Amino acid sequence: MTGTKKKAISLMLTAVMSLSLFTACSGGGNGGSGNSGNNGGSGTPANTPAAADAANEQAGIDTSKKVELQFYMLGNAPKDLPKIQEQINKMALEDLNATVKFNYTTWTDWDQKYKLLLSTGQAVDLIFTADWTQYQQYAKKGAFLALDDLLPKAAPELQAFVPQEMWDAVRIDGSIYTVPATYKEYVTGGFVWREDLREKYDLPVPVDIPTFEAYLEGIKQHEPKLQPLAIGAAVDAALQDSYLDIKRRAVGPMQYGVFASYDEPGEPVSYWGSPEHLEDLKTYKSWADKGYFSKNELNETESSQDKLVNGTAAAMLNDNPVRYNQTSSRMKSLHPDWELGYTPYGLTNGYATPVHPIHNGFAIPKSSRNAERALAFYEKLVTDKRYNLLTQYGALGVNYTVEDGYYKMLGDANSNGFPREGMNGWAWRNPEFMLFEPSYEGVQKIFDELDKIQKPDIYTGFAEDYTEYQAERAALEQVEKQYLFPLMAGQVADVEAGLKTFMDKARQAGLDKVQEAYKKQWLAYLTEKGIQ
Amino acid sequence: MKIKEDSSTIWFRLIAYAVVITGSILCLLPFLLIVSASLTSNESILTEGYSIIPADFSWEGYRIIFQVPGEVLQAYGVTIFVTVTGTALGLLLMTMAGYVLQRKDFKYRNYFSFFIYFTTLFGGGLVPYYMLITNYLKFTDTMYALIWPSLMTPFLIILMRSFINSAVPDEVIESSKIDGANDFVIYYRIVLPLAVPGLATIGLFLALHYWNDWFSSALFISDVTKYQLQFYLYNIINTSAFLTNIGAGAGVTLSEGVPSESMKMAMAIVVTGPILLLYPFIQRYFVKGLTVGAVKG
Repeated sequence: MTGTKKKAISLMLTAVMSLSLFTACSGGGNGGSGNSGNNGGSGTPANTPAAADAANEQAGIDTSKKVELQFYMLGNAPKDLPKIQEQINKMALEDLNATVKFNYTTWTDWDQKYKLLLSTGQAVDLIFTADWTQYQQYAKKGAFLALDDLLPKAAPELQAFVPQEMWDAVRIDGSIYTVPATYKEYVTGGFVWREDLREKYDLPVPVDIPTFEAYLEGIKQHEPKLQPLAIGAAVDAALQDSYLDIKRRAVGPMQYGVFASYDEPGEPVSYWGSPEHLEDLKTYKSWADKGYFSKNELNETESSQDKLVNGTAAAMLNDNPVRYNQTSSRMKSLHPDWELGYTPYGLTNGYATPVHPIHNGFAIPKSSRNAERALAFYEKLVTDKRYNLLTQYGALGVNYTVEDGYYKMLGDANSNGFPREGMNGWAWRNPEFMLFEPSYEGVQKIFDELDKIQKPDIYTGFAEDYTEYQAERAALEQVEKQYLFPLMAGQVADVEAGLKTFMDKARQAGLDKVQEAYKKQWLAYLTEKGIQ
Repeated sequence: MKIKEDSSTIWFRLIAYAVVITGSILCLLPFLLIVSASLTSNESILTEGYSIIPADFSWEGYRIIFQVPGEVLQAYGVTIFVTVTGTALGLLLMTMAGYVLQRKDFKYRNYFSFFIYFTTLFGGGLVPYYMLITNYLKFTDTMYALIWPSLMTPFLIILMRSFINSAVPDEVIESSKIDGANDFVIYYRIVLPLAVPGLATIGLFLALHYWNDWFSSALFISDVTKYQLQFYLYNIINTSAFLTNIGAGAGVTLSEGVPSESMKMAMAIVVTGPILLLYPFIQRYFVKGLTVGAVKG
């Protein structure tokens, strides 16, 4: 046993230890990189055979065995959830001989978690669906149970409550996979701007791009410290989709540079690389050059709404009426003398589309072991006033009170254990029971106006199936991030050359194949739904 | 009498001090920035940005946190519990594994070592891991999900094995056997005391891992009272990031209060502060543990 050997060992250990100190922080990244690698591969949900098939034979639903339902919703659980769950369970046990466990995914890696919940065969009985959680794709891949036969048996009341055209609208490949929400709202975009500043400097009301530009120019001149327009890092959605919506009446945020207008949905064209695309990119570039938005926009982490509220920006594109109203009342509470203005694109475009039934819903995954009971419970949640009020607004007298027909929160958002719609119950809103805060009047007024010009949403019902071009799709996404984003953010000096580079790279990545397949699917969808 | 130092030693010292001082300043500055931001009013952060000295002093961030401190304290409790039990259990299991794997009279030791080593090279990936924990072990929403997966970390087992291998000569084990000690007595009376520096290293590794872990909570825990501290923090940031990034078309409105900048910073201080204060006192023991084997020749 030599001393030097021991010394060498402990020296090495010290080195390893200090190394571990430096790398400790990146340790968490391990898990992160591991899962991102999995993103592509684990996309196909397991096709577990429907367990409910056997039970389907009997008439009515069998509640002789006590079950616990696993209910999954996105977001964070409200603090008082255990108390609410207890009360719900007391009723559910009596009505359906079932208890329910409300699970929340939180907003950390929620899309990853959502995928895992649906693809690993975990016992999940009810799960939230929306267009932005890729309901259409998941339904197409067979992640959910078809509800057509189950509905009349397990939830006849719910079946009657939701209008037939809504049931038809959520059909994917002919079957119903989700229970749509019946509350009618508009989440269409609009210009948001500082009304007090507009009045002060006598600027035009932004209703279209030229008036909006005039407003931005005025702000730039009179309030040099203010950033005229807040966009944020997601320039594709916050700038381009919004711009296409108001300027070119896009049918919806179509993928891969395919464009179709609302008036002629049957004629999809390639927008990327077209003269129109060049023209629009040049407009963005001119906005950036004039300093309407920051050079650093692609790295922005603060939300545009926060920037408006705190007086660092003077306008934003693309916000929906509800969020505008929220921003406005937040601003009023901090700066009572400021005012916010809003023009929905619909008023300029001449049509507005209320949310598609797919927008909010609940589905039963294939892996559910208690499909009937789950559906019966969901019926209670929507149509039974006791369940509905409890899960939307919390306990009466503890979390909220009703004053002159309006909802009133007790305490404030930090101390109240269950704020309004604290369970993120967007999908089981029942218009008959809904309670609003007085500030909702502003939203209702906008909705009423949009109601007059409403037209159906054509785009959201479309279920893209990207299995045949999955690789190209991923490559294209990369190219878009690398070459198109800087163009949209006005960071490329020579727009024409930049666009050409982008198009070359996109073609190499397989743009033509993807676009062709996408257009074909889109046209097939239009034919199937009888839209032309 | 003073020993005269030659100039090269002095130069070496000067350079060393300079490097260490710049290093510490670089480490301290971001932290100071957080402290100052946590004491600045939110509005001034948003309009004027961060500064080393608070532009508009305010306790607002801390006031909001301590209005309802329950969740933070709970998360603290969970992380401390997981770290302590996880490290203790993990050390026990991994030293035992390491000890057995290095015993020359264990015929299949290379075989088993290879099995363990193999998993570090070829993992099943996230989906099988998730299925194992949720569908088979049914650890969802329990502390097991937080502690169990890291109890036997292949890398640490191998480290422990080589450490025992070199720190404890075979002859010692052999002679203890002759003296009538059984395998378990050899393990805890002979091998463990000799392997203290290794224990300290692996213990630190494990403890750090448990303390910094958030991913297990993210995957398996939906009960707020079982969130780990790091996840609790991370989730707050993710919630506001989600709200920033989700398009208007999603029509998502969250009713929960979204933390302000100063509140986020105050939260970071509340969460890291106690550990920072504790660390200098614990560090002594780590260093001691490391040098135990080194001093005696």
